[in-house]
Amino acid sequence: MIRSLTIACSLLATTALCQESQPAAKAQEPAREATTFEIFRPNRPKTEADYKVAKWGPRGLPSPGYAFRAAKVIPITAAPIIDGIVITKNGTIEAVGPAKSTPVPAGYELIDCGDSIIVPGLVEMHCHVASESFDLNDTVHATNPEFRTLDLIGLEHDQFRAARAGGVSTALYIPGSGSNMGGFGTITKTWGNSPEEALVRFPGSLKIAQAGNPERRSGDLGYGMMGMSDGIRATLMRGKEYLAQVQAAERGEGPRPKHDPTLELVSGLFRHEYPVSVHTQIYQVVLQTLQELRLELGLWTVVVHGTFDGFRLSGEMAKHGVAIANGPRQYHFDRATGRIEGLAANWALGGQHGWRERVPGVGRDGISINTDSPVVAQEQLTLQAAMAVRLGLPHEWALRGLTINAARMAGIDHRVGSLTVGKDADIGVWSGDPIDPRSHVKLMVINGTICYRRDGKRPVW
Amino acid sequence: MRIQLLLAATITFAAIADLPGQGRGRRGRRTIAPPPAPPAAEKVEKKKADEPKKYTAIVGGDVYLGTGQRLTGATVLIADDKIEQVGHNLDLPEGTTEIDAKGKTVSPGFVAVAGSGMGASRRPPFKDGANPYDPQMKQGLAAGITSFLAGGAGNGKLPTGSNAIAKLAWGDVEGMVMAENRVAGIDVPLSLGDFGKLRQQVEAAQKYLSELEEFPAKQAKDSKAKAPKMPRGADKVVAILKGETRLWVNVGGSPMSMFLRMRGGARFTANDVDAIRQGLEISKLFGQGVVLNNPISAWLVPDEIAATGSMVILNPRNRMAADPKKPDTTGTNIASAAILAEAGVPVAVTSPGGRFGGANVGTGGILGQDLNTPHVDAAYAIRGGLDNRKALRTLTLDAARILGADARIGSIEAGKDADILILDGDPLHYATFVETALVNGKVVYEKSKDPLFGHIER
Repeated sequence: MIRSLTIACSLLATTALCQESQPAAKAQEPAREATTFEIFRPNRPKTEADYKVAKWGPRGLPSPGYAFRAAKVIPITAAPIIDGIVITKNGTIEAVGPAKSTPVPAGYELIDCGDSIIVPGLVEMHCHVASESFDLNDTVHATNPEFRTLDLIGLEHDQFRAARAGGVSTALYIPGSGSNMGGFGTITKTWGNSPEEALVRFPGSLKIAQAGNPERRSGDLGYGMMGMSDGIRATLMRGKEYLAQVQAAERGEGPRPKHDPTLELVSGLFRHEYPVSVHTQIYQVVLQTLQELRLELGLWTVVVHGTFDGFRLSGEMAKHGVAIANGPRQYHFDRATGRIEGLAANWALGGQHGWRERVPGVGRDGISINTDSPVVAQEQLTLQAAMAVRLGLPHEWALRGLTINAARMAGIDHRVGSLTVGKDADIGVWSGDPIDPRSHVKLMVINGTICYRRDGKRPVW
Repeated sequence: MRIQLLLAATITFAAIADLPGQGRGRRGRRTIAPPPAPPAAEKVEKKKADEPKKYTAIVGGDVYLGTGQRLTGATVLIADDKIEQVGHNLDLPEGTTEIDAKGKTVSPGFVAVAGSGMGASRRPPFKDGANPYDPQMKQGLAAGITSFLAGGAGNGKLPTGSNAIAKLAWGDVEGMVMAENRVAGIDVPLSLGDFGKLRQQVEAAQKYLSELEEFPAKQAKDSKAKAPKMPRGADKVVAILKGETRLWVNVGGSPMSMFLRMRGGARFTANDVDAIRQGLEISKLFGQGVVLNNPISAWLVPDEIAATGSMVILNPRNRMAADPKKPDTTGTNIASAAILAEAGVPVAVTSPGGRFGGANVGTGGILGQDLNTPHVDAAYAIRGGLDNRKALRTLTLDAARILGADARIGSIEAGKDADILILDGDPLHYATFVETALVNGKVVYEKSKDPLFGHIER
């Protein structure tokens, strides 16, 4: 308990420091790749400095100069490089290119990874294992936006150690689906000298659970479909009103509302500083997600899970810019046809999906894969992707789903998700195709520091 | 499951309704005539012997024999339900049905050392409980499984359990139960008292067996000599000593439930080297190798296990942190299978346990966590350093040895059951699909003709 408090306090101190040093971050933001899928986020702040509510973790922490050379470098947002090199220092990628034409600066250590494949550190959009506690389903009210996971980061948690050995460098650590609104999640690196160093952004997202787990089948009032929707909407509306009052006050059109830390965080959703991570699965509920959260309230919405027959709305989601963080499960048994279909494939590629006409999918850039760890162990993130590929998701899309797509959904793609100059030096050195369970991580680099090396005698994973 | 129950109910009802002229009242029970005996098995055999053999050949595939070897562009010739010949340039008898496997891989059917459903009954009588048209069988075959242990090894302080090696012989009840009670299970750690009881039972059984051996000579001398009596409750121990049943030592429970994983498993430390060593003591007691079921720390004592001739069942993905109080004798290792294989210990892989996984196929779980993709578990053994070719043995020959059934299944060798897969790639690649599965020489699954995965192109 005392430890958590210390972390929370020191975090506040760090974030205050960060705000002062933000102009530097402005210059560093790399250019964004053209995408086929635009996430709905019109109010998106232009740079980290423009965020009013969310706090960003530090960047550019000191790390040695390294040059990682390998048989293949897959930057994700650029074509794969045969015999490539990635140069990093002070937590940042300084250069990516063919080994022949990319000089290693003096004083940088050359790490020859031989036959390996270098990919960016993987990004997990749906994780519950950053702390020893599993009490992520607290339910004090029908909706609980006052809760947060920020104070519950333990980087030496057994599953986080395994996450690094599984190639995962960034995780959105969110509350559970015990109530309709579980609280605010935190985006953290899976390694750091301290939780405040590892922080990427708080809030990472607001966890909303529409139906499913929060349902109370014993007939509790307000826990049917309509009651749950009303509870979620009411809380969000309060945040929206709060924001309107704050903005009116900024324009000099009224008094500033009494400071409310919870509503302040809810208001950040309407500033599109962070998304809602919506636990939503079956068709009816995914439809509610689209209508209530995305269309009615205009939130930056990410579907997490998206299992069962929710994919029938792939066309609508593509149209309205709702990204899909799919998993775990990866398959759908269609009772009518007796077919086993790939969920990620159905979401991304579209299909008949029981409609009269074929509907489009969210495409190459709208899908990511997650574990919901510990439901699937954190280190098995790539296996979820393997299963998605097995059932039809293109391999390249799956790799994107584990990296840049997940980073975009979380709004952290200017920092992580690809091997691009200026992004965080989060690098996984793999013995082979990262999606193949037979391959393993040889070396893991987070924020420019080598935080895991596979030990021959007792490898973690 | 519901469909199965309904089916069972319908069949029972039909059976009752069909009984001609029999009352089902109070009197009914006594007067009811025994149901007509099923056609005697010998009769069928005889008829078969007269018929010419039916030949099938799988031609031109890369044949993984299951023994660790591979023949490129080879042919497997099947006569009725057995493998007749494997090799290059075979002379195919006239009328052989040819299955083209060029550009494909051919593998022995996978043997699941744990499983449930897939048409098999959970408890005896296994033949009566078998449902040869259970849709789950198709799912099992699509996963590459052609046989599995139904009913479980058994748990207890003395060897126990009733089980059967079930085959996924679609439409063929007779072919579905290969053997019964080949496996008996015992749990460790045992208390000193329980170990003592086991020792007593083993000694009594050994005495009985040696008396039984001497009995014919004794009887010749003295016609009134009494036949030795089986010690009470020792039938399993006797069967193990006779080599009819294989003893599985269950080392600790399932370490992979969701909440155990959450907490790193540190509170559950029974599954350590001490428990494994007790398993090896049991092995010495019986004078034969045992099967260590899920010994998560087996990798710490590979040579001790190898010395007893014991074998190991594990899931390479199981991950349990070492107990901080016993860091050197607890905990898992992704390299377990590789370390054990290096020491010469045969290893079979199982699916992970836990709330969303388990040793079953089905449509309600999480793909990659259950028995729908057994090849992924072998793939994780490779991640831990096991040789690519040896890894297939964890699903084929070594798995069959662990079931005591390697004389019939687990490899593509002349004389063995024709349980064979034709696959569209490396058997242990995650995206590989079973295109055709044969059980007992019959094609029982074809991807292209089955709704399950027919729509997926690789």
